[in-house]
Amino acid sequence: MKEIETKKFVKNKFSEYYQDHSSSIQPPTLIEKREFGFLMFKGRVMVRHKSLKNVDDLAKSLKTLVPSDAYYSSAYYERPEEKMEEKSWLGADLIFDIDADHIPTPCAKIHDTWVCNNCGIAGKGVLPEKCPACGEPRFNEKTWPCEVCLESAKTETLKLMDMLKQDFGFSSKETNLYFSGHRGYHLHVESEEVQSLDSMARKEIVDYIIGIGLETKLHGLVEEKEERKAGILTGPNLEEPGWSGRIARGTYEFLLTATPSDLEEIRLKRKVIDTLIQRKETILETWKEKGPWGIIKGVGTASWRKIAQHGAEMQSAKIDTVVTTDTRRLIRLNNTLHGKTGLKKIEVPVTGFESFDPFKSAIAFKEGTLKIIVQDAPKFRLGDQTYGPYKNRQVELPTAAALLLLCKGRAKVKEEK
Amino acid sequence: MKELDLKIEDISELILNRAEHRIEEALLYALVSTQSRKDEIEISSFPVAVMMVASTTDKLMKRRYALAEAKRSYNLLREEKNKSKILEITSAFNWKIRPVDDKPPYEFALFFTEYLRSATRFQAKGWKLVNRVVLNGEVYLTKDDTVRLLQEEVRVHIEKKLDVKEKVALPQNVADRVERLKQAFTKQKGKIKMEGFPKEVVVSAFPPCIKHMYDGITSGHHLSHIGRFALTSFLTNIGMTTEEVINLYRSLSDFKERLTRYQVEHIAGARGSRTKYIPPRCDTLRTHGVCTGMDEICRGIRHPLAYYREKMRTIKAEVPVERA
Repeated sequence: MKEIETKKFVKNKFSEYYQDHSSSIQPPTLIEKREFGFLMFKGRVMVRHKSLKNVDDLAKSLKTLVPSDAYYSSAYYERPEEKMEEKSWLGADLIFDIDADHIPTPCAKIHDTWVCNNCGIAGKGVLPEKCPACGEPRFNEKTWPCEVCLESAKTETLKLMDMLKQDFGFSSKETNLYFSGHRGYHLHVESEEVQSLDSMARKEIVDYIIGIGLETKLHGLVEEKEERKAGILTGPNLEEPGWSGRIARGTYEFLLTATPSDLEEIRLKRKVIDTLIQRKETILETWKEKGPWGIIKGVGTASWRKIAQHGAEMQSAKIDTVVTTDTRRLIRLNNTLHGKTGLKKIEVPVTGFESFDPFKSAIAFKEGTLKIIVQDAPKFRLGDQTYGPYKNRQVELPTAAALLLLCKGRAKVKEEK
Repeated sequence: MKELDLKIEDISELILNRAEHRIEEALLYALVSTQSRKDEIEISSFPVAVMMVASTTDKLMKRRYALAEAKRSYNLLREEKNKSKILEITSAFNWKIRPVDDKPPYEFALFFTEYLRSATRFQAKGWKLVNRVVLNGEVYLTKDDTVRLLQEEVRVHIEKKLDVKEKVALPQNVADRVERLKQAFTKQKGKIKMEGFPKEVVVSAFPPCIKHMYDGITSGHHLSHIGRFALTSFLTNIGMTTEEVINLYRSLSDFKERLTRYQVEHIAGARGSRTKYIPPRCDTLRTHGVCTGMDEICRGIRHPLAYYREKMRTIKAEVPVERA
C-alpha cells in the first residue's frame, strides 16, 4: 500500500470521528474574535485566516474540511479573517507549551530515530548536527510519545503551575490545562489582565519561568565581610516566596542528590567536591537546624554561587520560549485530533493532574480493530494494554493503537483482498 | 489649558519665560531644575511648555523634553516622605498598587502586569522580573523603585501629549521663542554625531551570535526560525543586499529560492507591510537561546547592531593611517 493511501485511510477515520463527535467540540471563548487555521492532509497546507461565528460553524468546518490538525489563535482580533496586518489585534491569552522535545530524556535513545535525507543512514536518539556519514544537516526525524517523556513533561508542568499560582497569583478558574495529544501539555491563562501584555512583557514572564537572567546576588546570596575576618555567607531561606525560596530549596535538593560527577559538571574544584561529598550529612543537618548557607570550611562563596545557580536551574520549568512570547500564535483546538497520533487534545483537571494518564484519557477511537503492517515500533501502552515492540510484522490492533502507528508513519494499512 | 482657563494670547511674560527655560534646560542639559517661587507660574508654565514643544515636528526634541520632565518628577517624588502622596499619583495612572508595612525594605506592592509595562524598558538586571520578589501576582517595591517606575509612566504620558497630529498654531511671540529653542537644539545635536554604517560589510565586526550563525549557515548548518530572522535582519540592516543574503542561504539542503526570497524581501521591508525589520535585542536573543555567550563589547551594549557599530569604531581606530 502506498503512503498516499495510508494518508487517505487516516483521513477517512478522522472524518468518521468528526461526523460522530461534532457535539463534543468546544469553542474557544469569544470565538468570533479568533482566527482559525486547519492543516490539511492533502499537501500539508495550512488553510488559515478563517473566521467562525459560533460552535456550529466550527463543527461544520471540521466535518467538511477534515483537517489533520485544527488550530485557533491565542489572539483576539477585530477582523480575524483579514491579512495579518489588517486584523487589528485586541489582545491575546497567555499560553505555555511544555513539550518533551525541549526536555532531554534518557528514553529518546530508545524510541527516537532519524534518517539522513541525503544518504539514508539511520540512527537513534537526539538528532546529530550533521550526518555522521555524509555531513548533510537534513534529517527525517521520528519521535515517539512515550511515558517517560510525558512524565518529565508533567514534572515541568507542575513546576510551572506552582509558579503561576504562588508567584503570579492566577486562580484555577483562570488557568486551563490540556494534554496536547502528542508529547506535552498546554497551559492557557485566560484573564483580562494578561490579554494586553505585549511580547516584551511575555518575554519577561518566560525568563521568570525558565530562570533566565537570574542573579543569586539579587536574591540576597551575598558575602558579608568584616575587617580582618573571614566572610560570612548569607542567603535566602527555604520558606521564602518566589525565586529566593526556590534558590534555597533548589540548592538543598541538589546537595541532597548530587553525585561527584554532577558536581564536576558545574565545574567545582576537586577539593570542593570532596569536601561536599564527605561532609554532606553535616551540611544538610546544619541547613535544617541553623538555616541554610552555613560556613563550611573549604567551600567558598564562588563555589556556593555555582551550586545555588545549578540548584535554581533545577527549579525552573522548561517551557517553549517562542510559543509564550508570540502574541499571534495558532494553538491546537481542544477536543480535536492530533495528526501525529490520532489522539485528541483534552482538558486535564488541575486537581487530579498528578494521577492523570494521557494514554488513557486522550484516546479518541474506542471501537473496533485494524489490520496493519508495522515496520518498526517500540513497546508502548495505550489504555490498559501494552503493545509491541514490532518489527516488520502484520498485526491486528485496536483502532486507537493502529492509528497511532499509522499517524506516526511506523505502519501501513493491510490491503484487504 | 482649558482647566486653567488660560487663553494663549493672555499668557504672561513670566509664564512664557519659565516655559522657555524649562524647555531650554531639558534640551541642553537633559534636566528641568530651578523652580519659580510662585506656584501658579510653575504649574501653568508646564502646559505652555508642552504646547510649545508639541508645535514642533522634531521627534528627538520631544523625547528629550519628555524625559527631562519625567526626571524632574522623579527627583521631586524621591524626597516625598508621605506614602499616600505617591499613591495619589499612581492612581492617576490607574495602577493596582497598595502600601506594604510589614516587609522592609519594601513599601509598595504593584500588580505584575503594570510593573512589566514600564520595567521591560529598563536594562539593569535588578529590574528583571526573575530578580524581584513576586508573590501572588504582586511585585514588591521600595519607594525608590516605585518612583522610578512612575518616572517612566510620566515620560510616556508626556510623550503622548507631545505627539499631536494636527498643527499647533501659536501667536507670533510664542512661535519666535520656539524657533529660538529649535536653533539652540540643532546646534546641540550637531555635537551628537549620528554615524551610519559603512557600505562594505565587515564580517570581523559581527557580534559573536551573528558570527556563529553566519559561519554555520555558510557551512550548511540548520538554523532555527528566530535565528534566521535575527541573521537576515542584521545583514539587511548593515547594508547587505537582498541578493547577497539569499545567496547565503543557498548552501542549505532545504533551500527554496522562491520562499527564501519572499522572506528576505519581507524582512528587508520590500514587501507586505513595508516595515524594515531590525534584529531582536540581546536579551530577546538570550531568551530564545540564540546568544552564544558575551565578549567584552557585548557587556557594554544591548543590541547586535550597536555591537557592530562599536566594533567598527575600534577596528577603524586600529587601522594605521597610511597617507601622510
